[in-house]
Amino acid sequence: MSPISRGFRGRRRRDIDPARVPPGQYIVEDFPVLSAGPTPRTPLEDWSFTVQGKVDRPTSWEWDEFLALPAETFTRDIHCVTKWSKLDTHWTGVSVDTLLEGIETQSQHITAFCDGGYTTNLPLEDLTGGRAWVAYRFDGEPLHPEHGGPARLLVPHLYFWKSAKWVRGLTLTSRDEPGFWENAGYHNRGDPWKEQRYWSD
Amino acid sequence: MSTEGLWVDGNAIAGLLRELFGAELTATERGCQTCGAVNCLGAHRVYRGAGTVVRCPVCGDIALRITSLPDRHVVQLTGSWSLDMPRT
Amino acid sequence: MWRTVTVREIVPETAHARTILLDVPGWPGHVAGQHVDVRLTAEDGYQAERSYSIASAPETAALSLTVELFDDGEVSPYLVEELQVGDEFEVRGPVGGYFIWRVQDGGPLFLLAGGSGLVPLMAMLRHHAAQKSTVPARLLVSSRRLDDVLYRDELADLDGHDAVDVSLTLTREQPPGWTGFGRRVDAEMLTAVGPGPSEQPQIFVCGPTAFVEFVADRLVELGHAPDAIRAERFGPTGE
Repeated sequence: MSPISRGFRGRRRRDIDPARVPPGQYIVEDFPVLSAGPTPRTPLEDWSFTVQGKVDRPTSWEWDEFLALPAETFTRDIHCVTKWSKLDTHWTGVSVDTLLEGIETQSQHITAFCDGGYTTNLPLEDLTGGRAWVAYRFDGEPLHPEHGGPARLLVPHLYFWKSAKWVRGLTLTSRDEPGFWENAGYHNRGDPWKEQRYWSD
Repeated sequence: MSTEGLWVDGNAIAGLLRELFGAELTATERGCQTCGAVNCLGAHRVYRGAGTVVRCPVCGDIALRITSLPDRHVVQLTGSWSLDMPRT
Repeated sequence: MWRTVTVREIVPETAHARTILLDVPGWPGHVAGQHVDVRLTAEDGYQAERSYSIASAPETAALSLTVELFDDGEVSPYLVEELQVGDEFEVRGPVGGYFIWRVQDGGPLFLLAGGSGLVPLMAMLRHHAAQKSTVPARLLVSSRRLDDVLYRDELADLDGHDAVDVSLTLTREQPPGWTGFGRRVDAEMLTAVGPGPSEQPQIFVCGPTAFVEFVADRLVELGHAPDAIRAERFGPTGE
């Protein structure tokens, strides 16, 4: 048992509706930056987003084309497996439903792939039905590179490692293929309300 | 001050490495399989994501991925490791 | 691996930093340059961990850490503004086998500190003094203003020893009549204050990542062997 350090509280706020806080999480006011590697710096003229894999035909958008897609501005709470949660975060992005519109597939699994080599896997149903976006604005400003800009996947109902930074596309796969952290001990799905942090949960 | 890359060096995880390997490892050299560079773990780059990632300071090749669970650490070593660890 | 420690004494260093002396039962001793991991636990079980360099020489009985306040920090505001004598927290260590120096490792030494990066280098110089070492040691400290420089009086004392040379550069504000450096570290300053590559110094650079990267690059450009440069970088929060 660790001794209590008298008077230590950490950065957290107290006056939050507990129903908004998944088990084991603490609310923070700042936006911590966590990264598995260096921040990629892909110039916008070289950027594209691709839906590929087990699809009838791959689809790709360059940056200007991507920004021309119908987008939404919305507010969500986000939850990181390292225990911080940030409430009421404001984003603008393209719904993954829009990106998958008209695409025929028999695949039930997706791997998101990113600049820098990061990957994460999700069931198709976690990315559809209005639950996931590719976001390029945060708090009304273009998404900062250290938070995943130009664009990141955003899947707020799962732990934030699934919201892959610097995302460049989605590959529909025949089998579920665990990604970077899923292969390293984290849970395959990552529902914060079921506290699915690690593979053994 | 630039927060480019947001990494610290291997010294920052000396305590964690000692817990994992049972030995002081920051002075231990690792040979990188990708670029051939040899560097002490203390000189490798440490990134903190959902877990801890240790990378070759020259080419960024991943050396270690560490996920710390409540009751254990899950460690993946990648690349080529030639650890030279003194007997204590 | 974690030991409970009790605060024995607190010594203010500057307006934003203090040294914390600790009672550590069973402390195995340490080598200058090593650090400890500090862990704080709140009443609801929340924990936060940070690393702090050991400021005391191995020869000194009480273990001490010098902590500088970072406004955005979570642990340093507690340690610098709240912590009292008698309080407890946990440490793990000492740790570090790379960024260390013992007198038998020889020299000459070239020590470069950015802000609170001075702490582990001070442990090295305190060890050097305790052993009455004659290894030539040159220290360059970069700080925003004079009032932020840690251990000012002690550095002035050490500067008086034959083997030790201390230089300061104040990058934001210099007091009236200041005759030291008043700009960011550059190649010219490094050449003026430090041993040259032909002397094959052991070089230790410590401070925020950007400082360390910049200084290390200049040293290599001046001809110092990359292998001779050991670095310890603080992260973006500085904690």
